[in-house]
Amino acid sequence: MTVTYVLMQNLRRNPLRSGLTCLAFALPMAVFVAALSFVVALREMAEANERQLRLAVHHKTSIINLLPAGMRRRIEALDPQRSRLTAVCGMRWFGGRVPGTPNTLTSLAADADTFPAVYAEVGLTPAEVEAWQRDRRAAVAGRGPAEQHGWQVGGRAVLESTVPPYLSLEFTIVRILDDPQRANVFYFRRDYMDEALREAGWDADAVNIFWVKCVSAEALRSLQRDIDALFADTPDQTKSEDENAFIANFTQAAGDIPGLMKAMALVVVFIIALVAGNTMMMSFRERTGELAVFKAIGFQSWRVFAIVLGESMLLALVGSLLGIVPAAAVLALAPARGLNMGPINALEVSPAAVAGSLAIALAVGAAAGLWPAIRGLRLRTVDALRTPG
Amino acid sequence: MSATDIVLQDVRKVYHKDRLEIPVLEGLSLRVDAGDFVALMGPSGSGKSTLLHLIGGLDRPTSGQVRVGQAELHRMSERQLTAWRSRHVGFIFQMYHLVPVLTAAQNVELPLLLFRMPARQRRQRVQTALDVVGLGDRMDHRPNQLSGGQEQRVAIARAIVTDPDVILADEPTGDLDAATSAEILDLLRLLNGEFGKTIVMVTHDPRAAARARRTLHLDKGVLHREELHRAAAATGAGA
Repeated sequence: MTVTYVLMQNLRRNPLRSGLTCLAFALPMAVFVAALSFVVALREMAEANERQLRLAVHHKTSIINLLPAGMRRRIEALDPQRSRLTAVCGMRWFGGRVPGTPNTLTSLAADADTFPAVYAEVGLTPAEVEAWQRDRRAAVAGRGPAEQHGWQVGGRAVLESTVPPYLSLEFTIVRILDDPQRANVFYFRRDYMDEALREAGWDADAVNIFWVKCVSAEALRSLQRDIDALFADTPDQTKSEDENAFIANFTQAAGDIPGLMKAMALVVVFIIALVAGNTMMMSFRERTGELAVFKAIGFQSWRVFAIVLGESMLLALVGSLLGIVPAAAVLALAPARGLNMGPINALEVSPAAVAGSLAIALAVGAAAGLWPAIRGLRLRTVDALRTPG
Repeated sequence: MSATDIVLQDVRKVYHKDRLEIPVLEGLSLRVDAGDFVALMGPSGSGKSTLLHLIGGLDRPTSGQVRVGQAELHRMSERQLTAWRSRHVGFIFQMYHLVPVLTAAQNVELPLLLFRMPARQRRQRVQTALDVVGLGDRMDHRPNQLSGGQEQRVAIARAIVTDPDVILADEPTGDLDAATSAEILDLLRLLNGEFGKTIVMVTHDPRAAARARRTLHLDKGVLHREELHRAAAATGAGA
C-alpha cells in the first residue's frame, strides 16, 4: 500500500459526491479542451500562413465585390523580374455543397496555371499537377467530404452552388488532401466555372481575391503598398493584406473568438474551483479526527497537507480526463463533419490543448484543495482529538 | 532510568482562550516505570487527556519537564515530536478513527508507510499485529463490516504494529458495551504482561481502571491520590 493508493481509495469514500464533482470537472473540461483546440488551431494556422508568404488582394469595399480577372496581369507586371513575387492566383467563391446535404464546403475556383505554385504547401505531385492542368474538371478535395461522400482519386464528384446562378458542376478528383486544416476545402479550376457561368448568361472572368505568392516578408510588405497604389485611382480599388490579417476579417466578424474563449475559460475555471473547493472543504471537515490521527501516529504536517492537496488534484485529474478523453474521441472521429467554424476547416484535439487543459485542471484542483490542505497543515492534533476530561 | 520510564517534573499546562488563561495542570510530577499499566481517572476537566497528550508528545507543557526514556519531550520541536511518536508511541482512541475506505490490514499498515520497509516485512508485521488482537481472519474486512469491539481491536493493532515502547489509550472502552470492554481490557493487559508495553489509559470507568496495576486520580490539574490494584498486580500483567 502507498499513500497514492490511500488517496485513490479516499475518492470512494462518498461515491456520489466524488462522482458529481468529477462531472463538474468533466463537462466544462470537455468544452474547454474543444475551445482550447480552436485557439491552438487558429494559432497554428496563423503560423503556417506566415510561412506561406501569401498576400491577399481583394476589393477595398468588400470581399464579396468581384475584381476583373485581368487585374492579375497588372499585378504580375509590377515585378517582371520575379524578384518579389513568385505567382498570382485568382480565386472565386463557389459556395458549393453536395446535392442533398446541408453543409457548404470551402469551395473555390482557382486559376489553373498558378494554383500549384501559389498553394505549393498542398504538395501536388507532378502527376497530379499534370492531371489538374489536363482536365478542366479537375478538383482537389479535403479528406472530410471525400470520406463522407466516398470520393476517390479519379472518381466523380458533383457540387451545386448555393449562390446565384446556382450552378451544378461535375468534377474529377485528382487529389484528396490529408492536411487537417484543409479537411473541408474543395479547389477546382476557374476556367471550368467561367465556362458554366457564360453558358448561364452570367459575367465571368472575375474573382473575389488574388493570392500573391511572395518571396520574402519584405517583398510582401512592399507589394502590399504597390498593389493598393496601382489600383487606387480605379473603380476597382484594392485592399491588400497578409493571410493572417485577411483571415482575421472572418474571425472578427464573428467576434473576438480567442478573447471570448479566454473569458469563457476564466468563468469555467472559477466555477469549477468553487464547486471543487466546497467539496474538498466538506470532505476535510468530515475527516478532521481521522487526519488528526494521521498526525498522532507520526505523519508530519506537510504529509497531511500533501494528502489533502493530492486528493483534490487527483479528483480534478480524474474528472478532467472523463471530459477530455470523450471530447478528443468525438473530435477525432468526426473531423470537419458538420463543423462550420469560419477559417478553421477542421478541429482536432491537439496534444498542446490536452496538456493545457490538464494543467489548468490540476491548477484548479490545487486551488480548490489549498485551503483545506492549509487547515490540515495547521491542524492541532490535540484540539481535533480532544474529548471532555 | 529505564529506556521507557515516563517522568514528569513540575509540569504546568495553561490554555489560552481569548484573553483568559485556563490552567489545566498545576505543577504535576509523576513517574511511570517501564512496563507499568496505569489508569488515569478524574472528573471532566481534571487534566487526564492533557496529561496523556503531554506524555505522547502531542502537546508541550507550558513549563516543567516531560521525559520518556531518553527523549526530553519538552525540548523537542513539533517535527521532532512527530517523528518520535511514529517510533515510540501507539495511540488508541475512544472513537477508533479508522479510515473507512481501507481494509483492516490497510488501516493497520498506515503507520508503517512512514518506515522504509520491504512490502513483505510490512505484511508480516500487519499479520502479526492482527493475530495478536485476534483478527487475523478479518484482514480484508472494512470498518463497516466490523463490530465496534472489532474496530477497536483494529485500532489497537494499528497502535502496536510499529512495536512502540508506550501505548496511550484515551477512553478505549468508552464506546463499547461491558462484555466487549472486558475483551479490550484483556487485550491491553496481554500487551502489558506478555509484550512488556508500558500503558497509560484514561478512563471514566472504575471497572476498567481496576484492570490496571494502579490508578492515578486527578482533580483540578493535580494528582489527588494513587490507588494500587492488588488483584491486577498479583496476577502479574497477564490476561
